[in-house]
Amino acid sequence: MSLKRTLLVVAVLWTALITVLHLKLNLHVQFFGPKPKVEATQKFRVGFIPVTCHLTCPVTDFINKNMSGESFFEPIRFNGWPEVKEAYLSGYMPATFLLAPLAMELREQGVPIKIVYLGHRDGTALMVNKDSQIYRLEDLRGKTVAVPNRFSNQRLLIYKALKDRGMSIKDINMVEMPPPDMPVALRQHAVDAITSGEPFMGQTELDGYGRVLYLTKDIWPNFISCVLVVSEDAIKNRRPEVQRLVDGIARSGKWLDQNMDHRMEAAEFVAQNYYNQDPRLLRFVLSKPPDRVKYTNLAPLKKDFEEIEALAVESGIMQGTVHFEDYVDTSFVKDDTAIQPYAWEGKKP
Amino acid sequence: MSATPPQPDLATFTGNRGPRAQNFQWSKIVLPIVVAILFLLAWDAGVRITGSDIFPKPIEVMRGIIQLIQRGLLLKYVVASLYRVTWGFTLAVLVGVPFGLFLGWYGWAFQAFNPMIQMLRPISPIAWIPVAILWFKVTDKAPIFLIFLASVFPITVSATAAVQNMQPVYLRAARNFGLTQFQLFSRVILPATLPQIITGIRIALGVAWLVVVAAEMIAVNSGLGYLIIDARNAGKRYDLVVAGMVMIGLIGLVLDLLVRQLEKFDEVRWGYANR
Repeated sequence: MSLKRTLLVVAVLWTALITVLHLKLNLHVQFFGPKPKVEATQKFRVGFIPVTCHLTCPVTDFINKNMSGESFFEPIRFNGWPEVKEAYLSGYMPATFLLAPLAMELREQGVPIKIVYLGHRDGTALMVNKDSQIYRLEDLRGKTVAVPNRFSNQRLLIYKALKDRGMSIKDINMVEMPPPDMPVALRQHAVDAITSGEPFMGQTELDGYGRVLYLTKDIWPNFISCVLVVSEDAIKNRRPEVQRLVDGIARSGKWLDQNMDHRMEAAEFVAQNYYNQDPRLLRFVLSKPPDRVKYTNLAPLKKDFEEIEALAVESGIMQGTVHFEDYVDTSFVKDDTAIQPYAWEGKKP
Repeated sequence: MSATPPQPDLATFTGNRGPRAQNFQWSKIVLPIVVAILFLLAWDAGVRITGSDIFPKPIEVMRGIIQLIQRGLLLKYVVASLYRVTWGFTLAVLVGVPFGLFLGWYGWAFQAFNPMIQMLRPISPIAWIPVAILWFKVTDKAPIFLIFLASVFPITVSATAAVQNMQPVYLRAARNFGLTQFQLFSRVILPATLPQIITGIRIALGVAWLVVVAAEMIAVNSGLGYLIIDARNAGKRYDLVVAGMVMIGLIGLVLDLLVRQLEKFDEVRWGYANR
């Protein structure tokens, strides 16, 4: 065979083969037999990152799959903040979990986005090396501290904590780093302290080289880092689905906080099916101590956001042209106390 | 196709007798294996000496790969990455070769487009990630687009250069025979430029495979690049990070060996001899 013909034949055969394999193995397309029923409308997609701040997203999905056979939304996993934000902006998903100040700043930049519920409260730590000489916040002076993003509440938390002690953010060297890379950076002394959502902070403790300098609950009780945001378009056109999502998130939050068995059960199924992490890690951060992260009292409150807004403006990441009523829609939670946890007792007998 | 190469006789493998040329065949397999073993030993010793409990030893990476096979993930991920590279690369060839020939043939087109191409060419696919997500959302199209971008420029540039470097004597001869435009293209330009175009395509294939990790940083949920990023999320699983690197390297090696088969064709060998 000539060169041209050989190349053409090989290229066509290869492309066909790899396409069929990909459709079969990764996209689960059925080539023969009955076709799976086609959904009339696209399932409501919700973005999340494998951190405990977003735990209610996979928990709601899993409980619904187990209670009613299928979930009413599709959780989409991301690996970093920029990707979540861009996928949301592209219109790929109408809802996502997002850093609270980032959501507020997007609103300020004109993005039609509304905060409808909180992801969690607390659930952040600031870790230093076990053998370091940092024992108080004051000891951070001149040190390098890694934060997840300039729009993260963790950055605002440090800002507030330093201010309370008469210091300023200029006294430390702050760097942005994706949370999954933080533990190893601390271990190798590339940075002096790290702060992000769990379980990446707990991991340093579990592996024996990290020490807690503070847990958020100790310096900013009821701290919020991530929120559930929905596009205004979805609020207008897909209101029942948004309501169902908010109710589901609220119910699974209460289910998680109902007892420790529920949390341990969630640690197992979330680690295995959604986060692809060692279940030991989630078990650790969800129990030691139990109030390290909380999933109740998640209706958005004006005073919490005003506090965040004031800090965001003061620290220069927001202009302060939008306020609570602009970026929050409280209409999906009429009475948070009336919401009941899921009546699901797990797969165990 | 050229004649099949002579088969080495058994004596070369058993190591006795045989002329030097046949010993060379034998060493082609043994020497790389020796180097690979030395590399693995040095890697293992390096981890032991530094006492690192984060960077994995070769045996741990091997266990990680076995674990991926047992969970049925390795085949899926390899297929996903090859699928994206195949389509990104095929589209790059389909666009890059005709466009390159066009630029090489028409001087005005080259003058018009070349500055733009030279401007776009050095932009890393990583810089395109935000744009890829905004345009193609988090579907397979986004990584395919990034791989396309990375490979289309080397192909275009080599096809352009191939036409520009063509011996003028071919064209003069063709004109003397009174060939039509189509005949000129199919009988003269394409055969004369093919060797250089194929060299460009080989380089581009390497580049396409190189960017697969960056391309799969987008929230796709399969692929070897995704394996590396997912393993970073999974806590201290650097064995899986390195397993992903090893698999990308091994598949790169296989791709290179396959592309080398092109050298068996006289048309391509002629191209190399000419360089």
